[in-house]
Amino acid sequence: MRILTSRFGFLFLLPAAVFLACQPAMAGHGSVLERIHAAEQPFDKLQIGSAYQLPVNTVLAKETYQGGVFRVLGRKHAISRYRCSVCHTKQTPQVRDGALITHGYVNIRHGEGENALACIECHNRQDRDFLIDMEGQKIDFDHSYKLCGQCHFRPKRDWLGGAHGKRVTYWAGERVVMNCTSCHDPHSPAFKTKMPETYSLPLD
Amino acid sequence: MDHEKKNAPLKTAGFLDNRCTRRSFLKGVSIAAAAGSASLVTGGCGSVASSEEAKLKWQEFFKKNYRLMTQEEKDATVTRLERLSKLQRGLDIQMSNQEPHNNVLFGYAFNITRCKGYMDCVEACVQENNLDRQSKTQYIRLFELDPGQLDPTSGDGKYFHEVPVKDKFYMGVQCYHCENAPCIKACPTKATWREPDGIVVVDYDWCIGCRYCLAACPYWGRRFNWGNPVVPKEEINTKQHYLGNRMRWKGVMEKCTFCVQRTRQGKLPACADACPTGSRVFGNLLDPDSEIRFVLKNKKVFRFKEELNTDPKFWYFMD
Repeated sequence: MRILTSRFGFLFLLPAAVFLACQPAMAGHGSVLERIHAAEQPFDKLQIGSAYQLPVNTVLAKETYQGGVFRVLGRKHAISRYRCSVCHTKQTPQVRDGALITHGYVNIRHGEGENALACIECHNRQDRDFLIDMEGQKIDFDHSYKLCGQCHFRPKRDWLGGAHGKRVTYWAGERVVMNCTSCHDPHSPAFKTKMPETYSLPLD
Repeated sequence: MDHEKKNAPLKTAGFLDNRCTRRSFLKGVSIAAAAGSASLVTGGCGSVASSEEAKLKWQEFFKKNYRLMTQEEKDATVTRLERLSKLQRGLDIQMSNQEPHNNVLFGYAFNITRCKGYMDCVEACVQENNLDRQSKTQYIRLFELDPGQLDPTSGDGKYFHEVPVKDKFYMGVQCYHCENAPCIKACPTKATWREPDGIVVVDYDWCIGCRYCLAACPYWGRRFNWGNPVVPKEEINTKQHYLGNRMRWKGVMEKCTFCVQRTRQGKLPACADACPTGSRVFGNLLDPDSEIRFVLKNKKVFRFKEELNTDPKFWYFMD
């Protein structure tokens, strides 16, 4: 009898093994992942009529998202002193205007130590109304993601796909996403510490 | 003669269809009773408004489960509830009974690398969903965790200090809208179910408050109203949905509905819309071009307690 159980003991495990093997198959019927893998047809963005283009300042991105176009929030309208060339002219500034026209309020905390950035590494020295990338290309303020993406290429790749950053209000309808500068202060891009908005009560 | 013969079977069929069910009989009786009592009351000291309220309440009491209602009945109950809100609270609300859209399955992803624990999501959820301010009911709970931990029970769920703290990370927990949801199986009155677009909802009128679902949920996703919810009148969100953020009352269960009143309009849920860090990704899982599908395809994702086979539609991911 002992030999029998030792030799054929595994047979008792057989029903259990069959049961365990069947379980995922049973649960897999219509599981989320199966439904996701089966869904290949793109969703008609305009199917949901209540999702409309926001009445905010957006620009068409100079990038593509999964083969299609998308829009980003503009930046220029948010810069109070834009256009920069109003002040940055060929004329020599007057000393008495100094307090008004300098950018003393800008506190650059972007990059650390040797890698700390200076103004002209992003701002275009020749044409003050534009930014400039490392290859010397003029970049519009509204398309600053092209500039940021030079160093922060991984966040940019995620931003293009939708894993970084966020959409504006709607998940449906035309894709409108926040720009880099919508959330990050370009001069000091790290998020600040602050008190939480609210608090939770203890569980018990 | 021929004509009559042709019509005969049709007539019986019609008669069978119109058979008086217990529910419709009771409903008829109740309406008649309400009308009768109302006429008596108006003859005495009651006002017309109170009789209207009583009538609406009667009709509400004897309505069907939401899933068994026809579209007309759904529209009727929504109209009644709007009117009742006006009569009882003096508040004009817009209640929707928007049906799920075709080819939509909602999914959610939460970036545990990006979340800073600011709790804007929690506050936005409270405001949007008319949650009880007195007991401080919240659908979302953020946990402050040590690196390497992925179990919220090991974290601090009641922190209140400057965030983010160095070498900590934050993980939000809420209803995961499981495809194979244990709470739905536990409900004895079929007051909770999964909609075709994946949202697990509660028909508050059919909830008996037994709290079996609360016990069945392995994620602490459900909240119970131990008392009548208190929301200041000026803070009540008047854009409501029958299955979503309409006012609840003492003794019913409630839960996150992915903001059904917003998401069926194409909007993001309030939490995702409020997040200042972009940690919350929401979208249509059946759309290969959606952000949520990008996350699932390109990022490291996991689901909480996936081994329980609940098949939640809520993923955590990291950069």
